[in-house]
Parts: sequence; C-alpha cells; structure tokens
Amino acid sequence: MELQIETRLSDQLTRYLDLATSQAKLTAANMANIDTPGYRAIGMDFEAEMRQAMDGVDQGKPPRPVRLKAVDGLIARPDGNNVSMDREGLNLAEAQLKFKTGVALLRQEYQRVMDAIHSDSK
Amino acid sequence: MNLFGLMDTSGGAMQAERMRAEVVAANMANAETTHTAAGGPYKRQHVIFSASQGDPGFLDSLATASGAASAATGLQSSGLSGAGAVAPGVQITGVVEDTAPPLVRYDPGHPDAGPDGLVAYPDINPLTEMVDLMGATRAYGLNSSAVQAEKGMITAALEIAKS
Repeated sequence: MELQIETRLSDQLTRYLDLATSQAKLTAANMANIDTPGYRAIGMDFEAEMRQAMDGVDQGKPPRPVRLKAVDGLIARPDGNNVSMDREGLNLAEAQLKFKTGVALLRQEYQRVMDAIHSDSK
Repeated sequence: MNLFGLMDTSGGAMQAERMRAEVVAANMANAETTHTAAGGPYKRQHVIFSASQGDPGFLDSLATASGAASAATGLQSSGLSGAGAVAPGVQITGVVEDTAPPLVRYDPGHPDAGPDGLVAYPDINPLTEMVDLMGATRAYGLNSSAVQAEKGMITAALEIAKS
C-alpha cells in the first residue's frame, strides 16, 4: 500500500467542514435578521447533505451547492418574523463543535503523513 | 466557502443594532425638545430593517433550492417566493419619522408657546424606547456571540497548519 497525502478521509473531512461552515452561515444570517419584519428562518438538512457529499466523494464529483429550506414549526411573531433565539444559539454551538471536530480529525490525518515524512530523523 | 463572510453578516447586524440603539438614545435625549431646525417639536425616529442581498453564491444555492419541488413549496408557504426575500445579513433601509401628533401642554410662559398658550411636545414614551433599547442590546449581544463563535472557528482552522 502506498502513502497518499490526500486521502479519502481528508476529502470527506473537507466536505464536512464546508457543510459545517454552511450551517454556521445560515445561523448567522438568521441571527442577523432577528428583528427584520417578515423574515423567515432558513435552514438545511445537515444529514442529507452529508450523505450526498459522501456519495460525491466516492464518485469523484465536485461539491454541489447546499439545498436550503424554510424551517417549519417555529412560532412567528406579530411582525411575521419567526427566528428563534434559542434555536439559532444551539445551531451555532453545534456548527462550531462540528467544525472543531472536523479540524481535529483533519489535523490528525495530516500529522500522520508528517510523522511518516519525519520517521527517519527520529 | 468563506469563513470571513460569516463575520461580515454578524458584523453588519451589530452595526445595524448599534444604529438602532443610537436612534433610541436620540429619541430619549429629545423627549422634551420643542424647537427643531425644521420647526415644531422633535419627531420620534424609527429605523427600518430589511434582509440584504448578500453574496451571489448564497443566492445561487437558494435558486437551486427553489428549483427543488419540496423546498419550493416550503419557501412559498412561508411567503418567500423570490430569491431576494431570503439572504444573509441585515441592512437599515432608512430612518423614518413617527407620524403621531405631538402632545400639547398648556404653558404660556414657554418661548415656543402658541398664541393660545399651548406648547407642542414630542410624543415619546420612555417605556417604548426602553423596550426598543433592550431589544437592540439583546440582538447586539446575540450577534457578538456569533462573531465570537466565528473567531473560534477561524482560529481552529489555523490549527491545521501548526505542526
């Protein structure tokens, strides 16, 4: 087996980080519009997007844009805005943790390659 | 995917909320102002927020979302037919004057009193202003914690490059 610098796992993690960033971006957009009359919260199905991204990695396809959807089941205020502070706060924390997990795993993956490069100098 | 774009969104929102707080402060400061450059008493000001266009890449993915049947119905049911209706970021479209009539008090000794001895005062309710200020403060804090989270993500991404 030969050593690869760009592994399948690092490709998968790249897509994972992209999706975590998308989730954080949507949350930031919702948070920014917390007082905009008539604004409706937008979201994405992280699991479905992730599944599709994994298939994309296996088939060697380039990443495709995230499908956005309106969030159901939120209570709208009288001004028509339905952004929930709790939901957005939780989503942001979740996106942040996902991102940090992805970074930690990616770091480990590159560290392994680095160890292989430096193995003769030890 | 650009992590710094996130900070623009949250930073823009913080700027907008600060503007809102400034307008509230101006309203409270001028609660008793009977004389302005335009003539008449001070008029209460409001800021108007609207969702801004955001970056084109985001709109592209939104267009894809509208193309998918399930997402399109979801967006339409929530009253979002056009792509411009949902976009990241918020902007202040304008600051408008309240149209409410001024409060009239009898004070014949006042220099701005009319011939009938009545003085027009701005119709400013400190309670309404305080509630608005509280909303602005909370929203500012919410967006500032989002900036904090984004900073954490960028710092974490920089960790990849460290050995």
